[in-house]
Amino acid sequence: MSNLIEMKKVKKTYKLGETEVHALQGVNVSISKGEFISIVGPSGSGKSTLMHILGCLDIPSEGTYHLQGEDVGKMNGDQLADIRKKFIGFVFQDFYLLPDVTAWYNVALPMIYNRVPPKERKERAINFLTEVGLADRINHLPNQLSGGERQRVTIARALSNEPEIILADEPTGNLDSATGEGVMQIFYKLHEEGKTVILVTHELYVADQAERKIHLKDGMIEDGG
Amino acid sequence: MDRGFLAESVRSALEAIKTNKLRSLLTTLGIIIGVTTVIAVISVISGLKTQVASSFSSLGANVLYVQKFPWVMGGAGIDWWKIRQRKDIGMDEFRALKEYGSSFKYVAPEITYRYDVKVGNKNARGVEVVGTTEHFPEIRDQGVKLGRFLSLDDIRYRRDVCILGQDVVNTLYPDENPIGKQVRIKGRILTVIGILKELGDLMGQSMDNVVVVPYTTMAKFVGHRRSITITVLAQDEEEASEEIRWILRRVRKVKPGEDDDFSINSSGAITKQFNDLTRTMFIIMIGIAGISLVVGGIGIMNIMLVSVTERTREIGVRKAIGAKSSEILSQFLLESVMVSFVGGIIGIFLGFSLTKLISTIGNMPFGMPIWGIVLGFSFSFFIGVFFGIYPARKAASLSPVEALRYE
Repeated sequence: MSNLIEMKKVKKTYKLGETEVHALQGVNVSISKGEFISIVGPSGSGKSTLMHILGCLDIPSEGTYHLQGEDVGKMNGDQLADIRKKFIGFVFQDFYLLPDVTAWYNVALPMIYNRVPPKERKERAINFLTEVGLADRINHLPNQLSGGERQRVTIARALSNEPEIILADEPTGNLDSATGEGVMQIFYKLHEEGKTVILVTHELYVADQAERKIHLKDGMIEDGG
Repeated sequence: MDRGFLAESVRSALEAIKTNKLRSLLTTLGIIIGVTTVIAVISVISGLKTQVASSFSSLGANVLYVQKFPWVMGGAGIDWWKIRQRKDIGMDEFRALKEYGSSFKYVAPEITYRYDVKVGNKNARGVEVVGTTEHFPEIRDQGVKLGRFLSLDDIRYRRDVCILGQDVVNTLYPDENPIGKQVRIKGRILTVIGILKELGDLMGQSMDNVVVVPYTTMAKFVGHRRSITITVLAQDEEEASEEIRWILRRVRKVKPGEDDDFSINSSGAITKQFNDLTRTMFIIMIGIAGISLVVGGIGIMNIMLVSVTERTREIGVRKAIGAKSSEILSQFLLESVMVSFVGGIIGIFLGFSLTKLISTIGNMPFGMPIWGIVLGFSFSFFIGVFFGIYPARKAASLSPVEALRYE
């Protein structure tokens, strides 16, 4: 069994002042390469926490997490940064683009940290923007773009280091349904091209488009793990 | 460091500075003031030093001036009261030095008073009238350009003769040769036998507003006595100084263990004393500059902390897309260094302008040593690093999850 993602009995506990919050209480998740997954659940169900751990932004308090066979759970900050750089592209609900630089520069930013040579960076950034349908928006600043266009820049940015996994946190949350639909089509296309796509969402019509749904409730998996 | 990453850090820092122009300028004010002060102080003092050194070199090398008071009084351990109490230096001291001195080339007394020198209704006011001997030209390295200097006989027979400086000639005999003509000093008629070579200015004062007469003649019209100067042309300054001390302590009956009650001045000594004096000034000014640099540094730290807080979300995104802590650290450190550096550059420019202004107004040579500029740059660099490290570390140590969640 060589799953891309293999989580076993993962627990995550936060300390909020005096009280302990058990955000995840023993979660098992396995995801194979190329799957299209959605993680759903009401707010407070632990989906953000699960996404953070899946995205190697955080490590489990207990349990194991293997990504491509590597034990991520024991890594330090810089090792995690390396893993994120190589394996994971993030798409955020609020886009989080740098406001002062053009679309292509935003897309190129992860490549800077990945030490891609300058010439290649711009070329690749333009290719990815073309892929998400923004060939004519290369030199626009984020505030000159619509919400849907911004989200597509974010997707292009997530793709720029050619990661195995695209991890999207409420990618359509700030978009009207028509625009959201367009964004979803891009995710679907990426899935067809062989990327592993993981969506975190509370919108059911979004979640339904995935191959498999993982339902979270009160820090436990109800269904689909 | 990778070139692409460095370029991105520079771009990001410039962007941050550009977005908050006024804030950045106010932040760097302390650095600007500090660096301006450092540059101006260094430049002005080094200009002054050049001027003093070149001015006093005209007083002649190896010339010692034995006088009641030192030329420059300053520094620690100076007992003003004791110096004021010193006995006058008189002709006895001169005669003793002349008789017993073995390491001197020449010794001469200089009795100096300021008098009006008159011809008919023309009046040269406040001329320095110097009573001396025939050795004055050798010691002072200043002969006559016309006529002759004093002879031994002029001294011996107390002749009523004089040699005029160029300023006095310009006032009294502007259109004719004064040699053989007469001038009046304190009612006494003196015959002009020569004109001194010109010396020009020393520290803004003309050295040619002078009349030289035999010291014996001077005794005839000087009412009261006052302390004189004994000039000595030495083979070797150190050796001659020691011999002068040895002789004068005996003549003036200075007890063993007591300080000398006279001063041996020279151009070398005054340069040294001037340097001692400016060193104190220098240290004080650098201290003031240091305080404003520290204040400026705290300003930078403060604004960088604000910047880190404002950009917490950006830090989170950068970390999410793969930035290491060290890369976040260098990005923010570079920003604080650049802010500080901009202040340093403005400071160097202002310091340069200020020095130029002072040297123009004060009619001083303009000197800005390279090491002053280097110091200005290093100060601002050091301040940027020192006060930027804490905010940068704060940024670098943010957890990605916390940073992304920050509202």
